[in-house]
Amino acid sequence: MKFKILKALDVAGLQVFDPVVRLVCGENPKEQLRKILLFIGVPIVTFLVFLGLWSYMAPRHTTKAGEVPTPGVVLDAADGIWTFHVRENQKAQDFLLDGGNRESELASVEARIMELEPLAAAAREQMETLESESKAKIDEQVGPLQAEYKELRTKSREDGKTREAALIAEADSLPVGNAAAREAFLTKVAEHAEKSAADKEAMRDFKAKIEAAYTEKFPELEKVRGEYNTYEEELQYLSKRLDYLTGDNQSLKISDQELKLDELQAAFLGAEGGKATLKAAEKVVKQKEAINRIADSEYSRPWTFPRQIARSVWCVFVGFFIGSAIAIPLGVLCGLSRVIMAALTPLIALFKPVSPIVWLPIVFIIVGGFISDPEKAVVHPAFLSSAITVALCSLWPTLVNTALGVASVEKDHVNVARVLRLGFFSRLFKIVLPSALPLIFAGLRISLGVGWMVLIAAELLSSSEGIGKFVWDMFNNGSSQTFAQMFVVVFVVGAVGLLLDRIMIVLQRSVSFDGAPTAI
Amino acid sequence: MPFLEMENVSVGFGPEGTRTEVLHDVNLTVEENEFIAIVGFSGSGKSTLVSLLSGLLNPDKGEVRLKGKKVTKPGPHLGIVFQNYSLLPWLSVYGNIELAVNQVFTDFSRAQRKEHIERYIEMVSLTPARDKKPSELSGGMRQRVSLARTLSMQPEVMLMDEPLSALDALTRANLQDELIRIWEEDKRTVVLITNDVDEAVLLADRIVPLTMGPKATLADDFEVTLPRPRDRTTLNTDQRFKKLRNEIIHFMTSMNKEAKMLRVDQGLAMPDIKPVDFTAA
Amino acid sequence: MIENRYVEIFDLVKAYPNPFGEPVNVVEDFNLTIKKGEVIGVIGHSGCGKSTVLTMVAGLNEITSGGIVVAGHEIDGPGPDRAVVFQSPCLLPWMTAYQNVMMGVKQVYPHASKQQRRVVVEYSLSVVGLADAMNKYPRELSGGMQQRVGIARAIALKPKVLLLDEPFGRLDSLTRMELQDVILGILDREHITTMIITHDPDEAIFMSDRICMMTNGPKARVGQIMPIDFERPREREAIMETDKFYAYRQRLLQFLDDCEAEKHGGGPIRWDPEPEATADSAEEPESSVV
Repeated sequence: MKFKILKALDVAGLQVFDPVVRLVCGENPKEQLRKILLFIGVPIVTFLVFLGLWSYMAPRHTTKAGEVPTPGVVLDAADGIWTFHVRENQKAQDFLLDGGNRESELASVEARIMELEPLAAAAREQMETLESESKAKIDEQVGPLQAEYKELRTKSREDGKTREAALIAEADSLPVGNAAAREAFLTKVAEHAEKSAADKEAMRDFKAKIEAAYTEKFPELEKVRGEYNTYEEELQYLSKRLDYLTGDNQSLKISDQELKLDELQAAFLGAEGGKATLKAAEKVVKQKEAINRIADSEYSRPWTFPRQIARSVWCVFVGFFIGSAIAIPLGVLCGLSRVIMAALTPLIALFKPVSPIVWLPIVFIIVGGFISDPEKAVVHPAFLSSAITVALCSLWPTLVNTALGVASVEKDHVNVARVLRLGFFSRLFKIVLPSALPLIFAGLRISLGVGWMVLIAAELLSSSEGIGKFVWDMFNNGSSQTFAQMFVVVFVVGAVGLLLDRIMIVLQRSVSFDGAPTAI
Repeated sequence: MPFLEMENVSVGFGPEGTRTEVLHDVNLTVEENEFIAIVGFSGSGKSTLVSLLSGLLNPDKGEVRLKGKKVTKPGPHLGIVFQNYSLLPWLSVYGNIELAVNQVFTDFSRAQRKEHIERYIEMVSLTPARDKKPSELSGGMRQRVSLARTLSMQPEVMLMDEPLSALDALTRANLQDELIRIWEEDKRTVVLITNDVDEAVLLADRIVPLTMGPKATLADDFEVTLPRPRDRTTLNTDQRFKKLRNEIIHFMTSMNKEAKMLRVDQGLAMPDIKPVDFTAA
Repeated sequence: MIENRYVEIFDLVKAYPNPFGEPVNVVEDFNLTIKKGEVIGVIGHSGCGKSTVLTMVAGLNEITSGGIVVAGHEIDGPGPDRAVVFQSPCLLPWMTAYQNVMMGVKQVYPHASKQQRRVVVEYSLSVVGLADAMNKYPRELSGGMQQRVGIARAIALKPKVLLLDEPFGRLDSLTRMELQDVILGILDREHITTMIITHDPDEAIFMSDRICMMTNGPKARVGQIMPIDFERPREREAIMETDKFYAYRQRLLQFLDDCEAEKHGGGPIRWDPEPEATADSAEEPESSVV
């Protein structure tokens, strides 16, 4: 049992947890604790140090979209993203509910509203009192400041005027042509200008002080305001749910329309005369169509972040599959034949370094040429272009590794095949491919990693739904909340990439016949 | 007091639970200027034994002692000759040896060093190849360089880890003769690890068989009483030589549990079917 | 009479281009006739071209001029009628011992029933002592055991000629002795015509009916042929006791020493400044040994 778990961890590349399992089994605790400290403790400490540095640095830099979010803010943003997703799912579900389920849901929503409303009202009241209190506090602070400021202003104005008057008087008596006297007067004028500027500067500083007093934060108020906002948001969401459980509910709509249909059908049955009958019949048919439309209709769910992640993963696999389907056969051919290798080398060398940013517009236009109406297409052209771009950028590592793997089959193994006079296909499938398999998988693993990186950029440019588009939308939104959400994306993209890589490692290990240890 | 000594040495690899003990309770004593050969199958832990003796590896249990002092880390007083020569490819024969000599004899003058190095190059008969790089030498010659390098450090104990196994039988025979000559000339304590019984009988004063691993240990030793200096051609007709050699081979092969476990099934018979004749087609 | 001239090698030449593109004859005018069921040992210094001769007989190496006739047919490329046991066992690591042998068996007995094929594989593996290790993967086997599978794979083909290319070169001398006994046991039962390349005089004497001593390359050829007059089946310890064995051994070593001396004008050191250029890799450090 213990060894099974250890083996599984080893295959999954999670040897880090090996000492934990051993410790649980009571094996050499001192040694295992030391290992845990080293392989788990140390990384945790590093991560904490990283978080600490982040929290320290972030508020010290202010951008157009507000302060750089701290870890806490990012965590809140992640929570917000998730709540949004859960609520949207709930709404979609509500839309389809019917019968008793709908009624019980409705009752619970109503109960929750009843529960929330007083809370929200209380919060509001508290918020308002706090607001007025804080306003009073501010006024209290600002009042004297303002008076002082006014005083300062009048004083500086008056001073200016006096100085100016004195200067005019002096200018009057200035002898014409006396260069020295006039030079001295110039200095005085400059002095006057300097003094006025200094006064203005002092007033500006004072004003900033007043503004700072206005923007003073009241943590209690902020907290209550946050609470109130949460209540309000939930109430809004609940009222939307109410809509979907009542008027906008699919089953209710259908039953409404069905009532109408019954009437129309009755009218049709009773209709007399050619024209009237036809009309009644047409109405019935139309009504039936309307009902079908409603039955087919779906709740139009917005692209929440988790859905966009799923979409991106799907897209990367489609692209990766296309790429591998091209790269592996081509690589095998290259590895088998020097002629093909020579023929393809320039193309491979030329296209390998091309950036996804260059491929995408070209692919986009070409795919657009095949799919004229994006709305009616089976696959969205933006999705297809992203996938193809991923394929174009990620096929090279697989191609090169496959060619290398096939070309470097051990000479002795080839000799075995020659002595046995194996045919082309049994040579390929029994000897060449199996021995190239570990290298092919190593290539696939690199390819998938490249593909994942390329995909985000491609989605961002092609605005195909996915993580890239999410980032782009957040960027365009430019609020401090979306800024924090972009940080969430960083972690999600990293985590998904890591997961994909792990999966590939497990696959790679399961095909490598010599049980070769794989690098992390 | 014995010169080099292993007392109840055990060592294993791998984490506890899956740990395999490679050597178990090994005891060995070597006198000063004695030539010992340890004979064993490949995979029975011979290289581990060398690592222990040279201080590259510390035992889990027991002690390795040189002149009564515990051996814990490697040093120039414990010279090793490896099977794969381990020469630096960018240095000449002279350069490879010089590196070792400079490390050990720091108080030598330039002229002394040169003389010292050249003496050992001469000893392994490589003077004409003094300035060649290892890549220009055959395997046998590379092993001579490795030998000269180790000898030039004048180690208290010389450990040889299958020094001739990578060479073909003929080169090996020549180098064995050379080893006999060098040892007569430059007597020191030698522990030779080998899988070749002939080699062991030819060179050693005493032969210690290593049992099959895991949990290998040293079996009772065979004393080689053949007179020195020994000569391959005369030994071939020596009845004592033949007897000792056959005894050891018999002992070694009877010990191979793996081979004993193999079942040669005589019950089956090759079916009487003819293979496809590709040449006739 | 085909029985007496089962394998005929006549005027065999192998030329490799030197670094300047000029052909150098590694092997020249090599002539050898092997009787059916005979075991021929080929011995020579490393790099003398003995492996080259064997790979040419196997068809893995092109013949520059001359010819090789096996059982009345001139050879044309490699084929399972000349099974080879290489120096490294070169088993396919993703197949078990059984599957490794079966791959050849399927190829050679397409007309046989499944049952018959299975018996062929089982028989071959059991005569090399692996009856209990058939379903093990190469990585689970020691070097000696792997080489046993290599031998089983060769004999399962019922070859006309068994070609052994320094089959024990990478094994330690104790394991080597066991495998020598295994092969001798098989040859005593199956009487396969065999050519064994070796650089070990003891091995050559112990296993062969005749030993073909090759001169040093380039332009290596057959120097002497020495018949070995020991009864079969042979017993190692008994043979080692005889004086004849040491006489043979002396003659072999003398020949090889003379080759060396001739080459270097009798200098005191074994001086082979040219790194081995042929397929002979006996002096490579053991890289592929498990």
